[in-house]
Amino acid sequence: MDEIITDILVIGSGAAGLAASVYAAESSQQILVIDKGAIGRSGSTVGAVQIASLGSWSHREDSLDAYQQDIRESGRGLSSPVLTDVLVQDISARLEDLLQWGLKLDKNEHNDILVAATSGHTIPRSISSKKGKTGLAILQVLTKRAKNSSNIKRWSDVITLELVKANGRVAGAVVLDLKENKSYLIRCKTVILATGGIGQLYSTTSNPAQSTGDGFALSLTAGAALVDMEQIQFYPVSLIHPPSLSGLCLSFYHLAKLYNRNGERFMDKYEPETMENTTRDKLAIAIASEVEEGLGTPGGGVWVDATGNIEEVKRQFHHEYQLCLDRGLDLASHLAEAGPAAHFIMGGIWIDGDAASTTPGLYAAGESAGGLHGGNRLGNNALSECIVFGARAGKAAARESARMKSITDGVPLQTKKADKIINVISNSEQGTERSYACKKAVQTLMGKYVGVVRSTKELLQAKAEIKAIEEKLDQVKITSSPDFYSKEILDYIEAVHMVTTAQAIVEAALTRKESRGAHHNKNFPEQLTEVKHTIVKVENGKMTVQEEGEV
Amino acid sequence: MSRLVVKIDRSEMRTDQYEIDLKTGRTVLEAVEAIYHHHDPSLAYRYSCRTGLCTTCMMLINGKPGLSCMKMAEPGENGVLHLAPLPKGRTIKDLIKEV
Ligand SMILES: Cc1cc2nc3c(=O)[nH]c(=O)nc-3n(C[C@H](O)[C@H](O)[C@H](O)COP(=O)(O)OP(=O)(O)OC[C@H]3O[C@@H](n4cnc5c(N)ncnc54)[C@H](O)[C@@H]3O)c2cc1C
Ligand code: FES
Repeated sequence: MDEIITDILVIGSGAAGLAASVYAAESSQQILVIDKGAIGRSGSTVGAVQIASLGSWSHREDSLDAYQQDIRESGRGLSSPVLTDVLVQDISARLEDLLQWGLKLDKNEHNDILVAATSGHTIPRSISSKKGKTGLAILQVLTKRAKNSSNIKRWSDVITLELVKANGRVAGAVVLDLKENKSYLIRCKTVILATGGIGQLYSTTSNPAQSTGDGFALSLTAGAALVDMEQIQFYPVSLIHPPSLSGLCLSFYHLAKLYNRNGERFMDKYEPETMENTTRDKLAIAIASEVEEGLGTPGGGVWVDATGNIEEVKRQFHHEYQLCLDRGLDLASHLAEAGPAAHFIMGGIWIDGDAASTTPGLYAAGESAGGLHGGNRLGNNALSECIVFGARAGKAAARESARMKSITDGVPLQTKKADKIINVISNSEQGTERSYACKKAVQTLMGKYVGVVRSTKELLQAKAEIKAIEEKLDQVKITSSPDFYSKEILDYIEAVHMVTTAQAIVEAALTRKESRGAHHNKNFPEQLTEVKHTIVKVENGKMTVQEEGEV
Repeated sequence: MSRLVVKIDRSEMRTDQYEIDLKTGRTVLEAVEAIYHHHDPSLAYRYSCRTGLCTTCMMLINGKPGLSCMKMAEPGENGVLHLAPLPKGRTIKDLIKEV
């Protein structure tokens, strides 16, 4: 296998990966950032609308304490105090950096920075850029900066198969350049994982095609611990119709009214004080419960009426309004049919305040990291997390790399999973299973058994079905020529990662015997007094789960 | 159900033709996806967000550059839906351009 050498390998080029690269590049270390799609245009960051932050625009009552209190309240006891502290301490300085590098914030008619209220934030602190295309705007600023840094190399269409270790630490990765189906061993001093979330493990999702949870599978195989993987945020109000927009988040739900099939404004039963303007976990559970009781719409959701606040919707959420209009749904005069869609994972790679995982040499930032948001993420805190912890990861990895004398030159690096993947691909002519169909099978079963409302029986069923898909994957059939880009190969590798990550989610969900935050198990509807985290690891090739107190 | 003929300019100077169901409200990307799933597993194409933001799904649609996730799958003037990679830059395979 050909080898490539760099000091720091960054995997993923959303807001977290690009922030990590740019801050790491302030050192003299060499940085290689790779992405399985087009660099800077393939993750969830692209779709993000607003970012929560403290700064010169902050309301008079806002403070580090107030912000931290909101996150911890929303986290249902699972938010790490260390991580929430870092977020609120660092956010305004990171935003200042972005502004200096060219980010322009949206303004109101008086030329003041537009600050929006978001459910669960007790004080309005959401700001935006490019008329609500904030994620894209941040990516553009970071990409420009990365391009201008002479020590950052960017490499698109390269997927990671396995992280490799030497002397007990992560020392590189095996990757496949999809353009020519050629594998490479990258040797480095430190790796930063920023591969985003898991939406594509579900059939209905707001997430882009690349959100197949690869980073969780990669880090598990490298021995790192994952925290609270059962905590998955379902965006409560996502379009069901038209199918081409299925999963589209209707971010204006706090400005709308929701009705069940009988025309009842059902939130009156669940959250009479806040009604629709409540946190995502509560709203998703309320909607899913209505549907379970047979009170859902024909498409299995609820009706959304935005007509009462349509001017505000058009102003703050123009892209969503226009997209619906283009597909024949005029929100000014019609109801939308919507329900929960997989949106964000609060759990993830267990990190410390410097974004270091439990495996030496491996850092994680952004949605791949876990523990900051606990049981429920507040809107617009994901982008904040990406830039704060991306920066932390970049700086810490650069410090550690600078202290290390050499890259593990010449040391044989053990690979296992990658060898198997490459082997299955080489022998796939005789296979029988289409890789896209295996992905679809994972999505169907996760949607059916590991959705908003769960039960132990369904989780056990999910576990059995995932195992069966894992076995099928060894019999994958790849018909396209191995000399060129092959979507079948990409789908196969993603399916392999999806299966491992799905197993981790199900194991964590089976272990949490209560309902807390986004994890709602019908058999254990109460929240226990004692707060425990689920910790998933792979030890000696076997997945294990433990429960731990304060982490 | 009526049928839609989709003609795709592919790598190595090849042009392939497929016939799929013509469904109302189906985007070009969904049509391409249906071809990959049910007709031709070797077809290569790129997309990410499905909501018109990332622009990675851009291709020539009936001769004009457009986002395949945003344009409806409809026949052009000659009665077929004609897809091709964007003319500028290196084509990696079929509809995928180098970025
Ligand atoms: C539609 C939508 C709207 C949202 N709106 C908001 C909002 O308004 N405010 C907010 O704060 N948050 C929002 N979020 C959440 C937020 O956008 C994400 O959590 C955040 O942007 C994730 O950034 P990231 O850098 O961690 O990962 P991503 O941006 O997802 O990037 C991950 C990258 O890693 C690459 N990758 C994955 N696996 C591999 C692999 N094996 N090898 C190589 N590369 C790989 C992917 O191709 C991708 O480019 C929204 C999310 C969605 C989907
Ligand atoms: S897939 Fe992103 S613009 Fe079409």
